Amino acid sequence: MPIHVLAFAGSPRRHGNSETLLDWVLSAMEEDPDVTIDKIALSEANINPCRGCNACEKLNKCVQRDGMDIYHDKIIAADCILISSPVYCLGLCAQVKALVDRAQVFRSRKYVLKLPVVPPERKGKRLGIFLATAGQSWDYVFDATVPAIKCFYHVTDVRNADIHYLMINSVDEKGAIDHHPTARVDAQALGTMVIAELKKRLAA
Amino acid sequence: MAVTVLGISGSPHRHGNTETLLDSFLDGARAAGATVEKVVLRDLDYLPCMGCNACHKTGSCIVHDDAITLFDKILAADCIAVASPIYSMGITAELKGLIDRGQYLWARKFILKTLYFSNDHIKQHKGLFISTAGLSWDNVFDAAFPAITAFFNGTGFEYYDNIIANRMDEHGGIKKHPTALKDSFEKGQTVVRVLEKGKTKLVQKG
Repeated sequence: MPIHVLAFAGSPRRHGNSETLLDWVLSAMEEDPDVTIDKIALSEANINPCRGCNACEKLNKCVQRDGMDIYHDKIIAADCILISSPVYCLGLCAQVKALVDRAQVFRSRKYVLKLPVVPPERKGKRLGIFLATAGQSWDYVFDATVPAIKCFYHVTDVRNADIHYLMINSVDEKGAIDHHPTARVDAQALGTMVIAELKKRLAA
Repeated sequence: MAVTVLGISGSPHRHGNTETLLDSFLDGARAAGATVEKVVLRDLDYLPCMGCNACHKTGSCIVHDDAITLFDKILAADCIAVASPIYSMGITAELKGLIDRGQYLWARKFILKTLYFSNDHIKQHKGLFISTAGLSWDNVFDAAFPAITAFFNGTGFEYYDNIIANRMDEHGGIKKHPTALKDSFEKGQTVVRVLEKGKTKLVQKG
């Protein structure tokens, strides 16, 4: 059965540490012939910030016409959604925060309009992966990124327990992650594990 | 010389709960004799940080837009009040976009070592975070604080106080909140008086 993977590379720096981490996960996933991968660099995705107008609470759609028109449908269609972000100023980079905030349309659908985000038969069959890198070595450097990411997955019907995390600190300069002792192996193992888990759930 | 207070409204929603709470703070500051200016981020034209790290070598951003002009204003102010509603457990993408652009100041401080804020300077520059959230959770602001801390550190401001109010959905908006607007006004007055006192002291010392 086909498995649809949607990957957002959130960093404005192309092919830097967080995107490399994402690519390692995807490369392991790709080994399975059933997997199709759709990878998007957010810096090229034309996703504006949320305008806070709350119109989606009535319209069930966003009033803005931009890249999100495409990604809205892709988010619903995906079996696995990956987001990678560098840590900037102790948070998600602004590009990823814009994506997260634009998921407000799903929140309105779910909690205000009380409509399904994904069909009932797909609930519990969607997995999420959050990947992050940070230059700082502090172990709390990722703490403020997680609540926002949880919001995104919560409103897009990926259960809290179904979000997987791989966060690597102390990688600053471009390419630093190549020298990290465990990042590559962990990323590839994560990719393989998530696809195996998805197959199990989709077959159930 | 009058204390200068700069309000930065990071909400995309004009005259909503957060901006109203900021206005109250600025009114208080004005009543105490400060020179007050308010900047609304949605009216400015700036890019988020592109992560190119060029500033790590030059100390300047390669993108010349409204963000840089605003940082000049920030560095010239005695007090800044940064306001953002909570969206998805964090500050808005507009405000995060601005904060990330301060990377060139970080580079000046920590890589090039051409920028240094003395303890006296930091004490005389007060930063406040103003925020509202619809949710009632007590932890709803927690993930916003670290980015604000980074912002004040980078610009040489002491993280002086928070003016925050949750349960907006429950209260039916900031205007129906029992204490928030009054508290914000009073904090505006207080911070200006504290800064004035500090200025006088520095003059006597100087």
